[in-house]
Amino acid sequence: MSGRDYLGEFEHIIVLALLRLEDRAYGVTVRQEIEFRIKREVSIGAVYATLDRLETKGYVKSHHGDPTPERGGRSKRFFRVTAKGVAAVNRTHRALQSMTEGLELIRSHS
Amino acid sequence: MTSQADFVQPPRIAVWLVNLFIPAETAESILGDLLEEFSHLASNSGVVDARSWYWRQTAKTIVHLFGTGFRAAPWSTTAAVVGGYLLGSVVNGLPDKVLSAVTDRYLGYWSNHFQAYMFWATDGMWIAHLILSMLVGCMVALAAKGREMVATMTLGIVLCAMVGVAYFAWVAKHWPMNLALSWMLFQCAGPFAMIVGGVVVRRHRSAKRTQPSGA
Repeated sequence: MSGRDYLGEFEHIIVLALLRLEDRAYGVTVRQEIEFRIKREVSIGAVYATLDRLETKGYVKSHHGDPTPERGGRSKRFFRVTAKGVAAVNRTHRALQSMTEGLELIRSHS
Repeated sequence: MTSQADFVQPPRIAVWLVNLFIPAETAESILGDLLEEFSHLASNSGVVDARSWYWRQTAKTIVHLFGTGFRAAPWSTTAAVVGGYLLGSVVNGLPDKVLSAVTDRYLGYWSNHFQAYMFWATDGMWIAHLILSMLVGCMVALAAKGREMVATMTLGIVLCAMVGVAYFAWVAKHWPMNLALSWMLFQCAGPFAMIVGGVVVRRHRSAKRTQPSGA
């Protein structure tokens, strides 16, 4: 089943944020990108819990950068989307597109 | 040039709380990210806003980590909680039994030291109850490896919920208000001591993890 899984709502948002940020994607930038785009305060715990789940599924990969003084000597953990992750985003998009096709969502529900 | 914000540290209690719930493998990243954003906020919006943001993040992160911690290992966490509940039921009666046995054995001594007897029968019982509850919390935390706080807090919440139900269903209706409230406080002190036990084990494990190996 894992090869045909769709992304959950927050997983989808996180993967899209990673794709936007490219090689600058780590906890702070991912959180800020989501807040900037969807105007909702997101907790860093929620971001990491989702990223860890995505990593377990093989949709993202992470590596540690160098420790920096502004982080109290702690390193950044950078994330990037794998080919499997890109395929999952595409699959989820296609599913959503086919479900919304023909629906006039804004006009009929506003 | 260094600004005032460079010297500002996030709220220590908030950092401590995040540390309790955070998985060991993500601790460095999460605490580093929080500190980085806190420093930026303190420079741009002021220390008060930054502290308030840190506390909001702490609360949300703890709630989230609590939920994901439980969902990650529901069966082992439930087993630790149920085991802790059963162990707690067994050991809670121990102080009474010990007191009766000691009273019977040293009846002469107690009759000459009635104040001491009264201390053991009231405050002593309470202290013993708290110590045993804390030990139960430690056992639960030891069993729930990596999810010490999730397991002990779940047990504490379940026990407090049971106390709350008993309070509203029976005690508050039939007992005088002051007696009912002190009963509830006494009953809730046990679950709180269990959580303290979880904190002790968690802190001990965190300290061991951060110690340099190869000694």
